[in-house]
Amino acid sequence: MEVNFRKINVDQYDEDVIQESELYEADPREPAEVLEEAKQRQVAVRGLLSKNDIAGALTTILDNAPYGPNVESAKEITLQTLLTILNSTKSTEISVIIKSLSMDTQDTLMKYIYKGMGMPGWGDVSGSVLLGWHEKLTEVAGVGCIVRTMTDRRIV
Amino acid sequence: MPEIFSLGQTPVTCHSFNADRTQLAVSLNNNEALIMNKQGNEWVPSITLSEHDKLITSIDWAPNSNRIVTCSQDRNAYVWQEQTDPETGGLVWKPTLVLLRINRAATHVRWSPKEDKFAVASGARAIAVCSFDAENNWWVSKLLKKPIRSTVLAVDWHPNNVLLAAGSADMKARVFSAYIKEVDERPSPTVWGSKLPFNTICGEYTTPAGGWVHAVGFSPSGDVLAFAGHDSSISIVYPGGPVLHTIRMQTLPLITLTWTAEDSIVAAGHDCRPLVFAGSEAGWREAGTLDDPSAAKSPDSRFGGGSPTVGRLKTGAFATFRDADTRGQSSASPVTDTKLTTIHQNTITSVRPYAYGGAGVSQVSTSGVDGTLVVWDVNAVVALTSRLGGSHLR
Repeated sequence: MEVNFRKINVDQYDEDVIQESELYEADPREPAEVLEEAKQRQVAVRGLLSKNDIAGALTTILDNAPYGPNVESAKEITLQTLLTILNSTKSTEISVIIKSLSMDTQDTLMKYIYKGMGMPGWGDVSGSVLLGWHEKLTEVAGVGCIVRTMTDRRIV
Repeated sequence: MPEIFSLGQTPVTCHSFNADRTQLAVSLNNNEALIMNKQGNEWVPSITLSEHDKLITSIDWAPNSNRIVTCSQDRNAYVWQEQTDPETGGLVWKPTLVLLRINRAATHVRWSPKEDKFAVASGARAIAVCSFDAENNWWVSKLLKKPIRSTVLAVDWHPNNVLLAAGSADMKARVFSAYIKEVDERPSPTVWGSKLPFNTICGEYTTPAGGWVHAVGFSPSGDVLAFAGHDSSISIVYPGGPVLHTIRMQTLPLITLTWTAEDSIVAAGHDCRPLVFAGSEAGWREAGTLDDPSAAKSPDSRFGGGSPTVGRLKTGAFATFRDADTRGQSSASPVTDTKLTTIHQNTITSVRPYAYGGAGVSQVSTSGVDGTLVVWDVNAVVALTSRLGGSHLR
């Protein structure tokens, strides 16, 4: 039986097909602006880490994090900075820190944990550290937080 | 105590009661609708409505005109009316085909409050608003299309019979005017607007983290809209401000909701138990659940450990692997029962008002993928604290 018709992408014949850009609101900032901001945050986070303010550092890097197309380098800087924070936190402090974060920040943190787990061996990615944070974050924010990471099209 | 009825071993796609709650129309995940009668403590199928070719997705039974509307993945809808059979003299349900003019599956159907129109949501990025054309003796439809970008998953009528809320897979909940000149009187102004020709968009709201909108509902007054998304969130909109309250939940997403009073919503979904949300324009919160995890259910629905925890993180496959990992146990321990501590053993796909009393709805009915129908007392709200303690990973 001829089954090749099943492989035809029917959407290409649809003039009114939904575009990726319609699925979420684009970041109003210019890519260059986003990159500059990510670099500034990296510096700010170093300062906060030297004062041992982990929660402050997480909020700084995760608040308004870059998303969408054309900001790959800003995303990488953000991920690298975040990994520095995660790796330098004592495992006993994680729960307390996560509880002090806002729900928005918790959701963004979960996105980055999954991003990190999707890039094994990249930069400072350490599976055991990420899994430790993932477990603690799920205890505080629930599986709802994981569901939001999966549904959100504003990919970090 | 909730009343529990087992309707079958297959999922219940949708359910709808008649006006006096003596009969029930359901579809058991196939192309037939069943009308059931209550006999003792059981619902027994009495009549089969078979006209659809594919899975029935939604059923609604109009309480006053006693008509049933069904819609299906075969892109059709039928209106069923009880008539006297001229040959036998008995009552039979006669189907009337509705000309929907959609090229994808119909997903959800609801009668308008006056029962002179109904709305069919569909995968064709459109909502068919149907009204009866007496001249030709058929139901005709008018399509609400703009600006819907994806499958419409749920619809709900405003009490004024004109406004229609719709939730869609393009992550938006919208309020449309479904004003049909031939049927409706000119509506008086509401908080949603005053000039309302067909397809006016009176409101458009997005889920916080890009989830499909599974369920929409107007409050009893029609002045407030609630919608639940697949990003485990429920949002309540007061259009005047506009004020938008969003609750992000720790649990799995909700897929159905109903208002029980102006300040209270019952919603349910993948977490297998109905949750109660309470609030006002000042703010909303999760008030608790109707499924009391500590109440004694039938003995076999309690799992071995006897702990009052709810949620699947500690049970089933997870516990099996955890035991294998931490204790070296490979055989299933008594704790690894696959029974959930909730009454519904799988996703709840529909929650609807069942009985009215006092200020609003006093009982709601739910049906789900586990083939169970449950009638709940909406005032028996249990706090969620025991669950929060129990949802830990270890």
